[in-house]
Amino acid sequence: MNKSRKSIVTATLAVAAMATALTACNSNPPSATACSLPDGPDLDRAISAARFDLETGCEHQFDQYFQRLLTIAEGDPKKDNKASFSEFLIWANEEGLLSKRQARETYTRYFGVKYVSLVSDYSVCDQTCPRQQEVMREMNKELVDKEQGLLKVSADRREYYRANRLFQEAELVLEATCEACGPAE
Amino acid sequence: MKTTTIRDREYKRNFVRRLMSVCLLFMPLAVHAASQTPTIKLFPTTVLEEIKHTGNVAAEMETGLQAVITRLDEQQNLYMESKCEGNEGDPGCEQIARQMGKSYLEMLTIMGDKLPEMETAVNSTSSSLEQRIRRELGQKKTSWSLQELLIGEQSESGNNADRPALRGRSGMRLSDRFHQYYQLVARSGGEVNSSLAVVASDIYLDMQETSSLIARTREEISRATLMEQLNQSFGTITPEMQEVVAGVKSILFGEEEALTPMTAPPASRPERGYESPLKL
Repeated sequence: MNKSRKSIVTATLAVAAMATALTACNSNPPSATACSLPDGPDLDRAISAARFDLETGCEHQFDQYFQRLLTIAEGDPKKDNKASFSEFLIWANEEGLLSKRQARETYTRYFGVKYVSLVSDYSVCDQTCPRQQEVMREMNKELVDKEQGLLKVSADRREYYRANRLFQEAELVLEATCEACGPAE
Repeated sequence: MKTTTIRDREYKRNFVRRLMSVCLLFMPLAVHAASQTPTIKLFPTTVLEEIKHTGNVAAEMETGLQAVITRLDEQQNLYMESKCEGNEGDPGCEQIARQMGKSYLEMLTIMGDKLPEMETAVNSTSSSLEQRIRRELGQKKTSWSLQELLIGEQSESGNNADRPALRGRSGMRLSDRFHQYYQLVARSGGEVNSSLAVVASDIYLDMQETSSLIARTREEISRATLMEQLNQSFGTITPEMQEVVAGVKSILFGEEEALTPMTAPPASRPERGYESPLKL
């Protein structure tokens, strides 16, 4: 009898211990890996929140965070926003979230006049002309990103105009140059 | 009363457009070539000489055509003043119509005579530019360095008035665009390499197109000549003649004359597409 009573108590204690342990797990504070994209109109605050998330397990969502920050910045377009995004990308590089090249290309893609779609190592005839249409499509997409970065986020119409002008000139000159290069061998 | 089919009108429109494209291209070339020799290797002296020659050939054709066009103008005025419209059977009116037909044939002959020479000049210039563009832009540059060349002269101050309008996007006449090129090259003294790359590309693509237009125009001149020779036996003035002459006049004198066809189109309002009341 005593033996059975003992085993009941032991079992009860074990269940209670397990329940306590489970409760203890559930009562942990929510981790940063919830990865909720920042909200609200304040860009600086949103960048701080994004930094916190990105360095605590959400780095795989860098692109989504970056895009959200751009959207938030659109709510208050000003030239200073360029600096905020530049600092954010430099931080991302220092944290190892992006390589230096990726950080540069991302910044240029949105806030620069030049087109990263035109990065190449070989001559126009050899490398660009065989994929001229593809390059132009990429440039076109990049121009849309520049519209967001330069115009909607930074309110820098002059730089956007230059980017747009460069797009048109590059299209014309590439068309003529590739015509002059002739068909690829 | 003479009537025209849709096909004829389309043909006329194309013919005039081609004539205009061919002629307009060369009006400013002589001026362009007379500008300072740029330092960039896209425009060496040989290319400029070829452009100059092409401009001269175009100028000769224009000079030859001017007298015939003036005569045609006078004959047309006489035809109108004599109230020949609707009186085609009148012997006097028939005579004026035949004279106009002769002048028209003369105009076609001049163009037919000059176009082969112009075609040779265009092809030669196009070929020289092609070699230059291939070497200087296609082989010596990557797409990134080409971009840097283009952006190099986009001044920080954003003085874009100095830059040429781009081909096919500006909506301006060819002659105006070439005038801008001339001003750009003349003012730059050959220093604005980025703009010269754009100008060279623009001229080269236009030359390519023009070469094909000249070939097609030559073929159509033969057809137009045959048609007018047939018309001569009836002493009629065709709308085709009028449109071609009006087109050539606008090329030479920059006149934006309203076409006054001898046979008016049906007096009905042009059909408009459906417009939704929801349209804002």
